[in-house]
Amino acid sequence: MKFIQTNRGKFVFSITPQEKGLLDEILRLYPLIPAEHHRLSRKSNIVQPNDHQRLLEESLAARREANRKNVQAMLGKAGHFQTTDSGSQLTVSGPEIEWLLQVLNDVRVGSWIALGSPDTEQDKKLVFNNKMLPHFRMMELAGAFETVFLNALSGH
Amino acid sequence: MATKATPEVRPGIDWEEETGSSTKLEPGFLVICWNDPVNLMDYVTHVFQVVFGWQRQKAEVHMLQVHNHGKSVLVRESMEKAEFYVHQLQKYSLHATMERD
Repeated sequence: MKFIQTNRGKFVFSITPQEKGLLDEILRLYPLIPAEHHRLSRKSNIVQPNDHQRLLEESLAARREANRKNVQAMLGKAGHFQTTDSGSQLTVSGPEIEWLLQVLNDVRVGSWIALGSPDTEQDKKLVFNNKMLPHFRMMELAGAFETVFLNALSGH
Repeated sequence: MATKATPEVRPGIDWEEETGSSTKLEPGFLVICWNDPVNLMDYVTHVFQVVFGWQRQKAEVHMLQVHNHGKSVLVRESMEKAEFYVHQLQKYSLHATMERD
């Protein structure tokens, strides 16, 4: 996928059928991060921590639901994709890129968690096997799409 | 050229006696972003810009603190605001928490 131009405040990307298939595959995985992964505080030194933790979970659940609807609309709606001679074009607004980034990073982080949260600095090495390969693939693909969208936002 | 200063009198203004600033009395909460090696550096910078309205340069400074030192204290706020910021950062899947200062 490649950023082409901005047109009337919208971002236009060229996307091949194969890339579109991969993007669809990633979006269909959303949400991937387990709900209990998010914690409001590490030290629990907040008054009524359970109430505040519940608020966080409700807030994130509402966002997940909104993003899920956005994903379904994008996957089902032909309006975002236009067929061209060389493949397709994807046209999205700035706010749409924001929720796409949230969705892509959820899949990226969720895949990383599924891989056992590897961290070379913590000496938690990535274990490669056939079971892990799909997670690794999704983590890398989601990151690649994130980079294209981020570059477009910064004008590259 | 320096001019001679004359004492200025402002009638009608009663200065309140200082009783200590509210920041001293109110407990502050630190919003901290922790390093997750999976998050892309440009992504973290972008999220800081969106959530806090920072210029890219400031956002990059904090992103590099997270990357190099494992965490960055992003802001010190009241409990309600700190909670709001943590919610926003976590919506982007960043590892952010709030801790009492």
